[in-house]
Amino acid sequence: MVFRIVKLSDLNLEDRRFRFTLNSADSRLLRSIRAVGVLQPVIVTARQDRQVLVDGWRRIEAARSCGLEELPALEIAEKIGDPAVFLVAFFENYGQRPFSLAEKSLAIRKFYDFRLRANEIIERILPLLELPPERRMLELMLEVSVLEERFLQVIHRRDWKPVTAEQLLSFPPEERAWLLSLIEKLTHNQQREVIESFYSLKRKTGKSLEDLVRKEKLAGPTERLLKGEISAADRLLAALREEKSPLLSGLRQAIEAEVRNLGLPEKVRLDYDRNLEKPVLRIGLEAGEVTELKEALQSLSASLENPEWRRLFQLLHYEGE
Amino acid sequence: MAGLRIKKVWVDRRVETNGLTRQLLDRLAGQPVEIVDSVEAVRRFIRLHPDPVGEGKQHLFITSQPSFIRPCPCTPGCLGCGYWTIDLDLNCPFDCSYCILQDYLNLQPLTVAVNRDELCSELEVFFRQKPSGIIRIGTGELADSLALDQLTGNSVFLMEIFRDRPGCWLELKSKAGLPPALLQVRPADNLVLAWSLNPQVVIDSEEKGTAGLEERLAAAAWAVTHGYRVGFHFDPILHYPGWRLDYERVVESIFRLVPVEAIAWVSLGSLRFPPGLLPLARRRFPQSRIYEHEFTRSAEGKYRYPRPLRQWLYNQLADMFAGFGAEDRLYLCMETVEVWQEFSAKIKRGRRNFTFPFPWQC
Repeated sequence: MVFRIVKLSDLNLEDRRFRFTLNSADSRLLRSIRAVGVLQPVIVTARQDRQVLVDGWRRIEAARSCGLEELPALEIAEKIGDPAVFLVAFFENYGQRPFSLAEKSLAIRKFYDFRLRANEIIERILPLLELPPERRMLELMLEVSVLEERFLQVIHRRDWKPVTAEQLLSFPPEERAWLLSLIEKLTHNQQREVIESFYSLKRKTGKSLEDLVRKEKLAGPTERLLKGEISAADRLLAALREEKSPLLSGLRQAIEAEVRNLGLPEKVRLDYDRNLEKPVLRIGLEAGEVTELKEALQSLSASLENPEWRRLFQLLHYEGE
Repeated sequence: MAGLRIKKVWVDRRVETNGLTRQLLDRLAGQPVEIVDSVEAVRRFIRLHPDPVGEGKQHLFITSQPSFIRPCPCTPGCLGCGYWTIDLDLNCPFDCSYCILQDYLNLQPLTVAVNRDELCSELEVFFRQKPSGIIRIGTGELADSLALDQLTGNSVFLMEIFRDRPGCWLELKSKAGLPPALLQVRPADNLVLAWSLNPQVVIDSEEKGTAGLEERLAAAAWAVTHGYRVGFHFDPILHYPGWRLDYERVVESIFRLVPVEAIAWVSLGSLRFPPGLLPLARRRFPQSRIYEHEFTRSAEGKYRYPRPLRQWLYNQLADMFAGFGAEDRLYLCMETVEVWQEFSAKIKRGRRNFTFPFPWQC
């Protein structure tokens, strides 16, 4: 590699054959470059009489924002072929930070397009990327790599795991696009749960997403979320959980209704295992002194003849479909 | 050997000259054979296949096991039944959608251990050191006990080791038919031939390559006629619309063919699986709907049906068995203390009488 100073205007930034990273220049990098310029050379190589960037996309972006016209570069000889140059791009980044799933997919796509044999990618590259060295993982990554940019950005920013991407890909393209609009601004865990829930409901019922969200419980929060009301996400997730878990949801609602009907004083609290694995009630009493404790126990004791208690225990021990 | 399709035989270099290895290769004459240094070579090959789990079922690896006997780990938070396992074969040629071995065995090919001398020595020590009371031990935890039997002859080999070892019950658990070899020898009192049962509709949709319900029950009936004790395992019980009637028919079919006295035990367990199995099984069995049921995550991290449903399934089955006077044959597999307590009360074994031995074995 030869050190040289390159003009930004000489770089063909449209040629992204070696790019697989997705981070943009952030404010820290901008401040740094504004203060001292680009100190670490970018890597370039000549292709068809133009300089093509191999590595240093964030620095270039920041340098342009700061109005720099030239910057230091290491140039790889033109005679070095694309696959070897891509290895430089890959390993130059590999040591710096872990890649997101979207970046891994793009890197794998490059290796694949540069004619590295599938078995070599599986055996050599996937383990480097901490992915299972299996053919189906290669196939999944190749599928992810051709998703539209906005999908890749969400997968990248929210650090998706392969299983979520696999579920997303199981939806037809139009449903995928709809789902993306729905979850784009949610946290990773919310995105994962929404996708998993719709995936499971769709498999279970055979219905389209459009039909699924017609249900009253789902329609409201879905509509609000699509309008950008992020607070509706929790409502949607609660509705999806209810949809996926009708038996336990029904029992919990019935138990909570009985607890409300009991009308216990504030200082007596009832609790139970929400999964109903342990069919017992836990009773908490709040007291600052003996008289308060007496009062709480008396009110609890006085309520024991109420039929709600019996119904509560029946619900806790419920067996059925 | 219904369901068995071997594409290639891989032989661990360490057992290349073993007598049983030679016999197995003779029985598999015509199959491509490769000698390898370890199972890793086989794994490297099968993981290149789009369905490595399915591919692994078609590659036979002949090797030696470092050890064979271990207590069944049950599952944290659940009540164990004191079972022991012999890990003689690993993996299974059948392809059940709910099988946890898909996830648990980590691309293990169909594996046969040929170091029987070591197994015999280990069993000798086990018999000498065994705790008092009844011991139940079987080969059906990481494999189907009979699926490869015509190839390995393990059933008769093991039965002869266990013969005249009172108190040590050997169980061979399967979804296959009855190997003819077992009908050519005198049954041992302490051998239990057991079949996993499900309604035929479940077998058709979820238990690829296995023997049908009728064949399994006919095998059990032949076994009983020949003098064997038998066991049955309703595990996993699956819940779906119409399940009750389907399972009732299975229970009725058992008692049409097998007398209660010949049944050593019947286990009940409902569908449960570790999280790792979920994406794998959904991918491998896109038509299956069993993973889209309502589940809870239990303390140990597994998905299971909610407790109210599990209890309901077990109690319904207990009622079905009670109709034939066989409810005292039942026990639960991998269930919590709370579920056992309710169930034990139901089948009148008392809330605290959880474990073996069963009264008729004392």
